[in-house]
Order: sequence, then C-alpha cells, then structure tokens
Amino acid sequence: MKLRVVNANLVVKLKTFYRERTAMFFTIAFPIILILVFGTIFLERDTLSLDLYIQDLDHTHASAQFVKALQINGNFKIIEVDPASDAREYAKNHRLNLILVIPKDFENLLNQRVDLKAPDASVILTYIYDPSSTSVKTKMEYLNMEFAGMNQRMSGKPPFYRCEETSILNRKYRFIEFFIPGVIAMAVMTASLFGTVNLNTELLQKGIIRKLSTTPITRTDWILSNILYQFALAIISTIAMLLVSYGVFHIDLHINLWLLVFLLLDVFAFVGIGMILTRFVQEAQSAAAAANAITFPMMFLAGSFFPIEMMPGFLQTFAGLLPLYYVNEGLRASMIFGDNMAALRYAAIIGVFAAVVFALGIIATRWEEGK
Amino acid sequence: MAKPAEHAIEVENLTKRYGGLLAVNGISFKVRKGEVFAFLGPNGAGKTTTVEIIDMIRTPTSGKVRLLGMDVTKKKRAIVPRIGVLPQDFSSFDRITVRETMQYYSRLFSRANADIDGLIELVNLKDKAKEQYKNLSGGLKQRLGIAIALVNDPEVVFLDEPTTGLDPRARREVWEVLLGLKKKGKTLFLTTHYMEEAEILADTVAIISKGTIIATGSPAQLIENHTNYLVLTLQSVDANAFEILRKMGFEPVRDNHQDLKVRVEHPEDILKTLNAIKDVGGSFLSLDVRRPNLEEVFLKLTGEALHADPAEGGEVG
Repeated sequence: MKLRVVNANLVVKLKTFYRERTAMFFTIAFPIILILVFGTIFLERDTLSLDLYIQDLDHTHASAQFVKALQINGNFKIIEVDPASDAREYAKNHRLNLILVIPKDFENLLNQRVDLKAPDASVILTYIYDPSSTSVKTKMEYLNMEFAGMNQRMSGKPPFYRCEETSILNRKYRFIEFFIPGVIAMAVMTASLFGTVNLNTELLQKGIIRKLSTTPITRTDWILSNILYQFALAIISTIAMLLVSYGVFHIDLHINLWLLVFLLLDVFAFVGIGMILTRFVQEAQSAAAAANAITFPMMFLAGSFFPIEMMPGFLQTFAGLLPLYYVNEGLRASMIFGDNMAALRYAAIIGVFAAVVFALGIIATRWEEGK
Repeated sequence: MAKPAEHAIEVENLTKRYGGLLAVNGISFKVRKGEVFAFLGPNGAGKTTTVEIIDMIRTPTSGKVRLLGMDVTKKKRAIVPRIGVLPQDFSSFDRITVRETMQYYSRLFSRANADIDGLIELVNLKDKAKEQYKNLSGGLKQRLGIAIALVNDPEVVFLDEPTTGLDPRARREVWEVLLGLKKKGKTLFLTTHYMEEAEILADTVAIISKGTIIATGSPAQLIENHTNYLVLTLQSVDANAFEILRKMGFEPVRDNHQDLKVRVEHPEDILKTLNAIKDVGGSFLSLDVRRPNLEEVFLKLTGEALHADPAEGGEVG
C-alpha cells in the first residue's frame, strides 16, 4: 500500500465529486431535504393541536365553559359553527370531517345533574362526522377520552385506577430525534452503495481500470482510496445533516465516537456490497437497478423512517436480517439513549457483516482482465 | 554483472485461448531496443490480445514473454514503472483537467519531478491544460493518453491503435507526436490496422492474421519480398479502356473514385498499356505508377482486405 497513491486517488475522486452537481445533490442536499420535509411534518405531531368545529346550540355560560375546557384540556383549536346553519350540510359544504354539536338544553340538563334534581340526567353531544376520513377516528377518540375524564371528575370520587409514568430515558425524545439517525444511516448506505457501483461500472466500461492496471497502483490501493473517499463523503454529509437539524429543529442528540464507528461500518458494509454487485452486474444501468433493488426495501423495512414495531411481526423478523437495521439501531442507541452496551452489540453485528462482505468484495473486484 | 538485454521485448510461442477461441496462436518475435515495432492486422487478428499480454493487462495461456529482460508473468512490479501504455479506447476521468490528470498519473508512478509541462507541450495540449477531459475532442484525448503513457519516462511505450476513430487531421497530429518519440530513441510497440501508419512510423512491421504472424520485416522489405509488380493508376479514363486492358490479360479494377488500377509486372507493360488505350482513341487525365503498399502485401498474403476505410481507396485486383 502506498499512501501517495491512495492520496492521489482520493484527491481525484473528491474533485470529481465537487464538480459533479448531481452527485453533490444526492449525497448532501437530498438527505437534508428529507429531514426538512419529514421534520416539519412530524414537528406538528409532537405538538399536536387538532382543529375542532363546534356548533353550540345552547349558547349559555355553561356551554361556553364546556368549550373552553375542551380547548385547554384537550389541546383543541376551537372553531365555532353558526348555530343557525344545518351542521350536516355545513360539514359537507366545508369538507369538515367532524362537528361537535352541543344541544340546546345543555345548561339546563347540567344544572339538574349538579343540583341533584335529576341525578341521572345526561346530555347528548352529537358527532356529525365523515366516516371516509382517515383522521376523524383519532379526533373522536381524543374527545371520548376528554369526556370520560370530565364524567369522572363530575362524579366527585377519585378514580380507582391511576397510572404513573416512569420513563427509562432521562428525557423524552421527539420524533425528529428518532428520525435523524435513520436518515444518516440511510444516506450513507445510499451514497456508499451507489457511489461504488457507479464509479466501478463507469471506470470498467470506459477502460480506465484497464489503464490503471498498467500503473503501479494496486487493487488494495484502489479499494482503500474508495473507502476513504466514501468515508469522507459520509462525514461531510452527516455534518451537513446535523447542522441543519440543530439549526432548524434544535435537536438534542449525543454526538460521540460511536457516530464515527457506525459511519465507518456503514461505509464498509455497503461499499463491500457495491463491489460484489459490480462483479456480477457490469453494465452501469443494470448495476444501478440492482443497487436500487437493495437500498429501496431496506430504507423502509430497516426502521430508518419509523420504528419497526409499527410493522407486522414477520416484517419485524425480516428487518433483523437487514444490515441497515443494525446501523439504525446502533446510531439510535448511542445518539438518543446514550446506551454504550447496546451500541457495542449492534456495532459487533454490523462489524462482522461488514468484514465478510468487504472481504468478498475485495475478492470480487477484478483488476487484471481475463486470465 | 548481467549483460543488459539487447531486445526490449522477446515473445516466444505465445498462445492465448478464450474458451474454444484461439486468439493468439503460438507467435514468436523480438523487438530491439530503440525500435518502432508495428503489429499490423485487421480487427480481431489478435493484435490487442498480444499487446495486452506483453503490457501485463492480460495473462497468457502459454508461452514466454520477456519485457526488458524480465518475465512479464512474474516481475510485473519491477516492469510497470519502466513502461508506458496507451490502451485501446483510452479514456480518463471526465471532470479532471488535462494538467490534473497528468499530475494524478505522475503521483501513481511516484514521479514528483515529472516534467508535466514539457509533456503537455510535447503533445501540443498547452492551451488545453485547464480543460476537463470530457470537453476534449477525440484527437486531443488520444494525445493526452500518449502524454500519460510517457509520464514515467518509460523505456518501452505500448500504443494500442493510437489513431483509431480519429479524423485524418487528428491522426496526422498523433503521428507527429509519435515521430518525435521515435527521434528520442524510445522503443515503441504499436498496433494498427492502418498500413499508412505502419509505413510512416515503423522500423519493423509484423503482419498478423487470425492469431498468427504471417510476415515480419521493414515496410520496404515486406513490399520487396512479397510483391513483384507495379501499380498503374489512370485517372478519368475512357469507359472502354477497362475492356481493352482485360483483353490484354490484365486484371483492372475501379476504385472508389472510379480511377482504373492495374498491376503490371514489367515496366515495359506500362508503355504497352498506354499505347493500347491511345490506339483506340482513348484518353485519361493523369497517370501514376507506384510500388505496392503494405495493404496490398497484406491482401496478397491473406487474401483479405486489411482495412475498409473508404478514404483510402479500394484494392488492386
């Protein structure tokens, strides 16, 4: 191995990257766009506030208090519907998925119940809703929970079943903090795999590898420079993603040596897969399609964007077979939970995988032509 | 102390087989130091396979190849720094400039003191030094390829079809560069299917067909040894001249420009031919008498055309 040769290769690859805008976009800008888009969407979820249309037919002090309680306790954004309008038509015309209708004798019934004049008195609140809406059920469940709480408080007795929350974490983490490690792992996987496949097939097809085989550069020098190049890109891309995430979403993640370890293992694993792919699929387009076939399912099934617990059981088992899953989990263990033992366990698994595929990749890489 | 080898390249009984295809069939030849040696043959004759075995891109099936006195299958590390290679269909990194490409290859050879400016000037690329590779024309790319092949100041330079795909002007520009190298005393190993290229550049030509060398010698020797006629060309000749010459026992042919070409074995036949045309009142615009070229030698030896470049005319029958 000659450092001067490795360095020369690294310089050429970095210059090519710098001058290739498409590569720059997909390596740096694309993951950042993903973070901005998904981060913004899920920021809403973290500070959930649902719109609630209410038609108050009673228009009394009691009904106003009831609406105010919903606004404060249920974290709803209340929008009033004109009592004179037909709520069903109003919902249809304004494409609303839910209107809560407070009946005309609300205050009267409430007073009867409170004053014990009619201890069994109850009021019927009506949901005018669109059953085809996917989110309306959630909204109704929130409201039901609120009403259950109000009913319980009105009974004047303390609840029998009480819950106490004890988090295993020192603090509550937000979705964006779950999301960032997944995007980092995914971006490094994509850049390493596609970078290797595109570079190798292009240089093979153009005959540059043949020319290089007549110079003192060895296969080891070449592969090492490729690894260093991909690692440099991984670091650049990760720094960019973290800067944006800190700047825009004020994330709170642990940045430590584990991040570098998982980036390196991610690079080794997917550069190795890329080298093996290039051996068997030497046409640039077919190789890119094969790389897509590997990365695409992995992005969605390895828990990059959402927890695998949300998936059916057999898919969760399948996720355990995917190398990206261990990078995702390892990064989360270190960046979110600060769990060194878990990080070590995941690093060991992906480390063994990376070592095997990388060794196979070296064997698969052709340097001299036909024997 | 070992006596330095007299020959830069020694090939003995070299064979290369791809499955059932015998690409190179037991060929042997030697190239002297300082010589320009050309492998002349049509596409698929085995030229590239042979040169790629000698410059260690491929491995032989059997036979021995010694380059600068060393076995190419065992001493690649020692040989590589002493040779330069322009492979067939040379290409380089698209977004790297001419100068950066030269610097890159000089670093691969650990040549901190390589005369990059001198080489860029040698191949006449000074005003393109800051141009990215992808923006160069075919001829400029080949010239860069030659400069790269020289970056380690090699003793032997391999040039595999250095002018294929270039227009006539670009081809001549490359020839100028190669003639400059010849003057510098470099050993050049050239493969080509352009007979003119071999005639202009080579000291020794080996004609290869179907994996076998069928003749070796200087261009003049090959023509001398394998042809015994002159080629008479008549321009803008009358239509009936063709029949007259056939009746006289010649085998005239019309080339792509409709010029009439005929082989004549004795100089006096030239006069007889002209008189016969004159006797029937025929005329022609001009005439040319020349010795045969390597194309015709190749045709005679193999019975097939060397090269189908319309610009270079047809064959003499």
